[in-house]
Amino acid sequence: MPEYKGMVQPTRASVAEMRKIYIEPVPDELKPEKAIEFLDQIRKKFRSFVLAMESCTKCGQCAENCHTYLGTRDPNNIPANRAELIRKIYKRYFTPEGRWFGKLVGAEDITLDVIEQWYSYFYQCSQCRRCAHVCPFGIDTCEVTFIGRQILHWLGITPKLHATTGAAMEKAGNHTALPKPGIVDTLKFMAEEVMDEFGVEVEFPVDKPGSDILYIPSSADFLLNPYTLMGAGMFFTYIGANWTIPSAVTEAGNFGFLFDQFWTQRGNVMRLLNAAQELGVKKIVWGECGHGWRAAKMYIPTLADRPVRWPLTHIHDEIANLICNNELKLDPSKNSKPVTLHDPCNYVRACGLNDNMRVIMNACVTDFREMSPHGADNFCCGGGSAILFDDPEMYRRRILFSKKKAEQVRATGVGRDGDGILCAPCSICKAQLYPMVEEHELGVEVKGLIDLVGKALVWK
Amino acid sequence: MKLLIGQILPYITVTLFTLGILYRLGRWAGARIVHNITLSPWLQTSGQVALRVGSEAFLFRNLFRFDKALWAGALLMHFALLNILVGHIVGFSFLGKQFALIPGLGITPELSKKMSDLLGSVFGIVLFVALLYLLYRRFAKDTVKFVTKPSDNLWLIYLLVLVGMGDIMRLVPDFHIEYVLVRDYIAALILFQPVVHMELLNSVFFLAHLLLVQILLIVFPFSKLMHFFGMFAERYIVNRVYHDTAPGLPNIEVATARKAGLGVPAGDAAGEGGVSCAGV
Ligand code: HEM
Ligand code: SF4
Ligand code: SF4
Ligand code: SF4
Repeated sequence: MPEYKGMVQPTRASVAEMRKIYIEPVPDELKPEKAIEFLDQIRKKFRSFVLAMESCTKCGQCAENCHTYLGTRDPNNIPANRAELIRKIYKRYFTPEGRWFGKLVGAEDITLDVIEQWYSYFYQCSQCRRCAHVCPFGIDTCEVTFIGRQILHWLGITPKLHATTGAAMEKAGNHTALPKPGIVDTLKFMAEEVMDEFGVEVEFPVDKPGSDILYIPSSADFLLNPYTLMGAGMFFTYIGANWTIPSAVTEAGNFGFLFDQFWTQRGNVMRLLNAAQELGVKKIVWGECGHGWRAAKMYIPTLADRPVRWPLTHIHDEIANLICNNELKLDPSKNSKPVTLHDPCNYVRACGLNDNMRVIMNACVTDFREMSPHGADNFCCGGGSAILFDDPEMYRRRILFSKKKAEQVRATGVGRDGDGILCAPCSICKAQLYPMVEEHELGVEVKGLIDLVGKALVWK
Repeated sequence: MKLLIGQILPYITVTLFTLGILYRLGRWAGARIVHNITLSPWLQTSGQVALRVGSEAFLFRNLFRFDKALWAGALLMHFALLNILVGHIVGFSFLGKQFALIPGLGITPELSKKMSDLLGSVFGIVLFVALLYLLYRRFAKDTVKFVTKPSDNLWLIYLLVLVGMGDIMRLVPDFHIEYVLVRDYIAALILFQPVVHMELLNSVFFLAHLLLVQILLIVFPFSKLMHFFGMFAERYIVNRVYHDTAPGLPNIEVATARKAGLGVPAGDAAGEGGVSCAGV
């Protein structure tokens, strides 16, 4: 169902698919009343949500700062209005002013149409937090869409993409439903590739007992971004690490974060902790995935059901640290094409990876050009929070969402001669940008950051 | 009328305002900060947090960075408002002679009174004009129009009327009100003494101004004006100190690994040198 009363919507998970992730969809006639019940439960828990509901002055500054509004000019894609879709209900049922003054303060009764609006516009938000970054009060619309999506999920409304990915994670330990034999085979093949292309002998140990380091790659790196995983393998080999990839969790992402933080996200966290315990590792190192890294770094401490014994860092942190200690020999001239960096939102606004990415970049390439704006001010690629829907309607929206990014890339001039590199070290950014650089004819190739490290390492 | 607005309502206003604020703050406190959603780049010390929150609260840092016109309008409005609020308290308590009390400046009470009048007039006008600009903006700028609800415009109009009344009393000599009358009135209210007989309450402008202020205070806790508290509560969630987990991998000796030629098929020896930590 790509449209509902003129609103674009992603294809929904079927009842059977919802049941697979333990949700019994609520019948339509009960949805409005159940929505209020769920909203009431959840609003009492999250202060970030309550404050977003109760302290926006409607100054409108967030509008021009959200790439979804810039791309579509759809008023409901203005962050303050996106939040208003739930705020109007919140006001009507949970605040005195909304009960007494109704329309005057923008309060509204709940209906099925409102719920459908939620589904459309909360899944057009890429949860990039640029609105929180620019709001004079720091109001975080991402918190609103987290909760909106959670309520939708409990009602039984979840995009097929998210629901099936959540189910795959539970079944196979990764989003692409790749089973262990497939993983082992792919890694063997990858080792051969590394040999052929770089002349380097690399082993990708899986479930190796007694390892020191647990590396969590993005499952997309097995198929779509092989150079990222190859780069990680070369890096760990180069430094002589005793590392392993756990077959139980071959996934840096955590789609639960994006539609169901109560069960799916938590389930994935426990799965990781179990794996770390079983393999007896000393440290967990995360691969390239924006939302996944945020879900791990910032949420494991509050989602874990036991003390977390393993320090958790991102592979960029570790590489940058070794670069700063002068322990890696890198030859930037091996990456001599013009490169620009797309800052994954989750890295720069939620995980503090800003500087480290630049340490690595400057050490690995010769012609690095910053976008404007960049760092914490950067705009999202338009695919964030996995709104990577392929239904024609949604796909068209994705092109619009990436318009701002395309302008930014073009302005750097890296693609002028058609041989530029757009470094986007996040699996979702990559998945969004692979087609988008074609749609916008940017003349660049999309790569990860570890890809560039792997290529620049000097072995002898 | 005088009895209602001048004598009874003030006590009701203060009670409702206080209880309302407590109710709202209590609601916020009841919900928890569940996960760490601090915005990065990380602030490293409480000093940095204070600086960030302070510059947002008093200089409107984000508005400055992302929308200069709004920054100018909003800052002028709030700065004038702050001065007027403080001015009301200080001016009436000291009858305009407050500046004479600052030692070492040699300001006479008469001069102080003049300064007080001047400042009041200037900020009164600035506030009015800034409010007009903000109202204009709500209709002139599409993005703002799209997010505006009727109550947003009403608030601005309401404040314009409220401030307008005040400005008339200040600027039109016929309607001017002496500080001392107001001081005595407030003092009487505080001491729970009757005020109905007071000459002050014969001024229609004063009564209207007073009524509008009281309605504002009663509605305050249930309105967008709560952003005064909301701002600090929200910043308390998104601007906090955060320290990254230290990097450093267990049992790693890069030099040894390189000497052993790990990864190098033919077993060539490792090279020398390295790349420095550039750019940051
Ligand atoms: C530290 C305290 C305060 C801060 C940081 C603050 C900040 C802000 C900001 C950033 C805006 C958005 C800009 C705008 O829409 O003009 C705003 C709007 C507003 N503030 Fe404040 N404010 C504070 C206190 C107050 C107080 C005490 C009042 C009491 C009347 C007030 C009244 C308003 C009004 C009426 C608006 C809406 C203006 C409009 O509709 O355009 N503010 N405030
Ligand atoms: S920037 Fe903040 S206060 Fe202004 S409209 Fe957007 S969410 Fe509301
Ligand atoms: S989180 Fe990003 S996409 Fe969502 S409303 Fe805010 S700025 Fe827009
Ligand atoms: S997909 Fe990439 S750019 Fe976009 S929200 Fe994630 S991290 Fe942001």
